[in-house]
Formats: sequence, C-alpha cells, structure tokens
Amino acid sequence: MRKLDISGLDVLSLMRFDACTRCGECTSTCPTGGEAQDIELVTPRGKILKLKEFCRMQYGLRAKLLGPKDIPEAQLRELASRSYECTICGQCKTVCPAHLDTISMWENMREFLVANGLGPMEAHAQIVKSIENYGNPWMQPRTQRSRWAKRIETEVKTKDVLKEKCEVLYFVGCTAAYDPNIRDMAENTARVLVNAGVDFGTLGNDEGCCGSTLLRTGLQESAKKMVEKNIELFERASPSLIVTSCAGCFKTIKQDYPKMGVVRPKVVHVTQLVNELLDSGRLRLDKRVEGTATFHDPCHLGRHNGLYDEPRRILEAVPGLRLVEMERNRAEARCCGAGGGVKTAFPDLAQKVSALRVEDAERSGADMLVTSCPFCYQSLKAGLEAKPSRVSMHDLMELVSMACSHG
Amino acid sequence: MGIYSSSLIQARMSGRYLKDRLALYLLFLAAVVAFSAIVLLLPYETVYVSERSYLELFLAVVIACVAVFVLGTMYNMLVWMSGKGLHGSPEGRLLRLLPRAFRFLVRGRLWKATAVFAKDALYLSKLKERSASRWSMHLLILGGFISMFVLDIISTISLDILHYAPMIEEDGWAKLWIRDFGFDFAGTMMLAGLLIAAGRRFVLKPKIVRTELPDAVSLLFLLAVVVGGFVLEGIGIAGGISGHEANHEYSFLGYALSLAMPGSWGAYYDQIWLVHGLMSALLIAYIPFSKLFHMVATPIAIEADRTSPKAVGSP
Repeated sequence: MRKLDISGLDVLSLMRFDACTRCGECTSTCPTGGEAQDIELVTPRGKILKLKEFCRMQYGLRAKLLGPKDIPEAQLRELASRSYECTICGQCKTVCPAHLDTISMWENMREFLVANGLGPMEAHAQIVKSIENYGNPWMQPRTQRSRWAKRIETEVKTKDVLKEKCEVLYFVGCTAAYDPNIRDMAENTARVLVNAGVDFGTLGNDEGCCGSTLLRTGLQESAKKMVEKNIELFERASPSLIVTSCAGCFKTIKQDYPKMGVVRPKVVHVTQLVNELLDSGRLRLDKRVEGTATFHDPCHLGRHNGLYDEPRRILEAVPGLRLVEMERNRAEARCCGAGGGVKTAFPDLAQKVSALRVEDAERSGADMLVTSCPFCYQSLKAGLEAKPSRVSMHDLMELVSMACSHG
Repeated sequence: MGIYSSSLIQARMSGRYLKDRLALYLLFLAAVVAFSAIVLLLPYETVYVSERSYLELFLAVVIACVAVFVLGTMYNMLVWMSGKGLHGSPEGRLLRLLPRAFRFLVRGRLWKATAVFAKDALYLSKLKERSASRWSMHLLILGGFISMFVLDIISTISLDILHYAPMIEEDGWAKLWIRDFGFDFAGTMMLAGLLIAAGRRFVLKPKIVRTELPDAVSLLFLLAVVVGGFVLEGIGIAGGISGHEANHEYSFLGYALSLAMPGSWGAYYDQIWLVHGLMSALLIAYIPFSKLFHMVATPIAIEADRTSPKAVGSP
C-alpha cells in the first residue's frame, strides 16, 4: 500500500483544506480549470477536495480507528497531473470568500507532490536539467547570457557589478537574456536606466537562474542551490538596489529568497523604479508614441505582489499614448496561461488561456497590448500571432524607451 | 517517508510521544467531564418537556455528541499538525499550540481577532462584493446559527443559574423578547438562508455549485433541525403546552404554524421535543466530519494566516 507522506504540506495548507467552504467561487474564474477546460479537478476546489479526501483516507479519525485506506495509484497520478495544469495565477486567492492564501497552497502542494514522487511532470525534467547544468532553462551556454548587452554596447555601457561597484544591480533573468524575441526587453530596460542616469550593472555571465521555475514546480531543494549562489553574488556585488524586469524573478527574489537566505539590497521591479524616476524628474518622456494601449497585469506582479498602479502611471506618462482597460484588469486580470510550468508541460492549454486574454485585449479597443513580464510577453505574442490579431505586443520598457528623449 | 515507515514508528513509540498522546487524551477527557458536570448539575426546572426520562436521554446524547465533536475536531487538528513548520509529534504540537494560541488571544489580540472574525468570517466582506444573494444566504444561516447559540447560553444562564424571573414568567419581558421572539427571529434567519441555499442547490443549480452527498446531507440536516424547531413550537402553542399558553404573537412563525395544527397534536409534544433535541445534538457531532467544519476551520485559518510570520516582501 502506498502511504502518502503529508509531512511536506504546511500546517496552514492542511488547515486551509478544512477551511474551504466548497462554494465554488474559484471554479468559474480559474483560467485553466474553469475557463479553458471546465475540468473540476483542475480547479482549486477540485484539488482541495481530492487531496483532503486522500489525507483523510490515511490520517483521519476513521483511519486511526480502522486503519488507513489504500489510494489507487491512478487517482494519485491524475491529481498530480491536474495540479500541474494550474498556472498559480492567484485568481482563486482574489475571489475566495474564505480568504484562503491559495498561491502558497499550490506551491506547497507541488512540493508535496515532488516529495511523494508524483511531480514534476516529465516535460519539466528537461528544463530542470538545463537549469542545473547551464543555469538557465533554455539549454543555452552560460557564456551567451550577456550577449544582449554586447549588441547595444555602443550606446549603453553595461557594467559588471562583480568588477565595478554599482548603485543598482539589474537582474536580467533567463528569458530576457536568451530568448531572441524578448532580448529587446533587456536592451530597452538598460537604455531607460542609462537615460535616467542610473548607475547600474549586471552580473554578466555569472547571473544564474533565479530559481522561479524550480520553485513553482515544487523542486525546493534544487532551487535552494540556485538561490544560495545568487545571494552569494548579491553579497559580493553589494548594490543598494536590485531591479528586475521579469515579474517572475521579482517575485522569487523578493518573496522566496528571504525564506532561504538574507537579501540585503532592496528589491524592486523595473516598473517601480521607473515610476520613481519619473516622479523625481530624473527620467523625462518627451517623444510621442501614438496609440491606444491596454496593460496586462502579470500575475507575479499584480496578484502576487500587489503592483497595479505603477505600470499604469508609466503608460499614462507616455505622451500620445491612451490607456484603456480590459474588462478584467488588476486583481481580476485573466492569466496569460504560461506560468506555473503550464506552458512547458501543457502547451495547448497555455495557448487556449492566452487566446482568451488576447480576446480581452481586442475587446478593449486597444491596438497595443502591453505587459511587463517576459513570460506573459512570450505567451500573449504567440496568442496574437496565432489569431492573427490587429493588436500588437509590447513590453512596457519598449514604449518608455521610445518616449525617452534619447530617441 | 510514509507515516508507517520504521523510523517514524520508532519515534512514535518513544516515551515523549506516548506522554504527549496521554496528555492530549487526558485534556480531552477533562473537557468532556467538565462539560458533563455543567450539563448534569443544571436543574432544568423550566424546560418545556414534562417527561423527565426524555430530558435525561437528551442530556446523555448531548454529552456523547459533544464528546464526538471535540474528538473529531481534535483529530482534524492532528491532521493539520502532521504538516511541516512545527517540531515534534502531532499530539505534542497540538498540546503546545493550544495554550500558546490561548495566551496569544488573551494578550490584547482578542478584540482584533474578534474584529477580523466579524468582518471576514461572519460578515464575509469579500463575498458581499461578488454576489449579494450568496452573501445574504450565508449571513442569514451563520447569523441565525450564532444568534441561536448565544440565545441558548443566555437562556440557560438566566433560567437555570440566575433563576431570572422575567425570563421565567409567562409575560416577563425576557421570556417574550428572548425566549419567544429572539429564538423565532434567529430560527427564521436560518430558515430563510437555508431555503435560499436549497433553492440554489436543488432547483437553480448554478454551474459553480457541486452537490454531493455531504453537501446535501449538511443542508438537509440543518433544515430538518430548524423546521423541526418551528413545528415543535407550533405543536406546543396549538396544544397549550406549559410555556406556550399566552402572548403567541412573539413566537411569530411557530404561532403561524400552530394555526394549521390541531390541538390534539399536543399529546405528542414530548416525543417531538426529544426527536428535535436528538437531531440538534447529532448535528453538533456531525460538524467535524462534514463540510460544516469550515465554521471552525475558516476563522482559525484566517487568524493564523493573518498572524503567521510572512516573508519579507510579501504583499
């Protein structure tokens, strides 16, 4: 008989299983379980009830009195697979009337699945291997990490914080550093920082994956190694501020790193820094960027970190740009479908979810869909191209860079 | 490592584990004995039922059901305590946590915790924004349930301990407004909420509602207890049972029902009183094993979430 080990589940998670009222508020707005597939087991309520049932079968009063019951392996495997169909977007946390912190529940649930040999999914294995061997999920050599900086070295001098002391450490992140379609994100961020006169540098080729992918898929132990290595680099560089342009890196460094080590510098997302630079007058946006833009709130920036106003204030500061909202915005924003390892393990599902968000953008009347996360950018751009749509995809720093006086 | 792995069995068989386990069961036993003593020592001079053996049977079942409730709750909490984040055996963790939680609450946190409970668990601030109908439904059920519980405590203390005359006399203000009107009002709140819930679950069937046996049983159990209470009151009024002889309009819903009941039904008042009492007691015992346990778990989870240390940078 297979005995489930629940010692990896947080006390609070186990408490929350009982606190779920089964109301189903989370089921209709769940992007993967409710909206894209309509499969109860993928929804928060479905997962909670099934896992609770399994826990009771082996740990409840009846199990104490009559002995634990066997849980069919197929049912366990199905729960695990369905659990990995969740993007951990946090929409369920927004709507839960019982105030359950579902984000930490799902992350903890994956940790539990890994501990019981039920996770991650096979498709994640390659990414995990790549992160462990190359320090990035894209199977790219470490030496290519700072290639983006070389492309713009004539206009922007990017310092190496491990060699030169800098006020600000720009943590680029794997996707912006390696994906040729998103490299502009790193380049434009660097341009904006230079334009505002920010003394910044990067970790160059020494920068490692932030560990977000590992943490979201439940591989805490593997992530710990990456986290410790990056924290060591932060200590060596000792900047006063760490800025990220990736919402996933931001969440990870700001929320997860302090659980595993000490991060002395303040950690901000680039939207927070740029917003401050605009307020203080260090950054001026003079050039007009004509168009109507709508902002897609990345889950890791919005629901996970409560940053909703900063990107909107930046967009409003861009001359010529008109900001319109999608019907579902801020805490209610639909997920792009890529997070939580879904795009890797279930690409078709990710595409279905991104198509829904693309429709949201089209309905808003905008001609530009703007976001501030490389993963959302990738996913939504693919969704726009698949349609095809009249709406174009943009990174927020791209628009800021266009509006900067440097041209 | 599974629960029955050899290393864990070794740990569980250790002296410390056995000591924790024994201490927890002694605590449980002490709680049940204390509750039994209170229940058995009260005189019940003003209880409506005339057959003393029915009252004694009811009290015995209440004690047994409360013991099952406490035991079920304890085992649910032991499952919580099996998770990570604390040290020692689940029994030891729970033993250490109970006095800490108590101290935490009484040291100035009680009002804050009560305010959070009132806003997030009782008033359901979040649900109000999303669905007015479901918010009203839940508020009616929970509000009625809590009011009924508070009224029960007030009545028991004033009747059986203080022997407060206005609560006993047929036209006393407390009898009219608390025992007659108060209970009817709280019961009506619950009934209205439960009927909305039943209508949603069994007639309208919106997509988000998932009806399985535990959902249906919980709802029907509550409905049976509440409706049973009004039927009992109606029979009491119709049959002119002691305590139901005058000022019927204060017991507005029971009185309305009594109009449709023949006075002869009063002959079965004691039996129906016992059935209603036993069902109410069984409902208490059922709570830890049903979805109704969220009444206990949700406020605790909200408070635990609010007060547990967060990582730096959490929103």
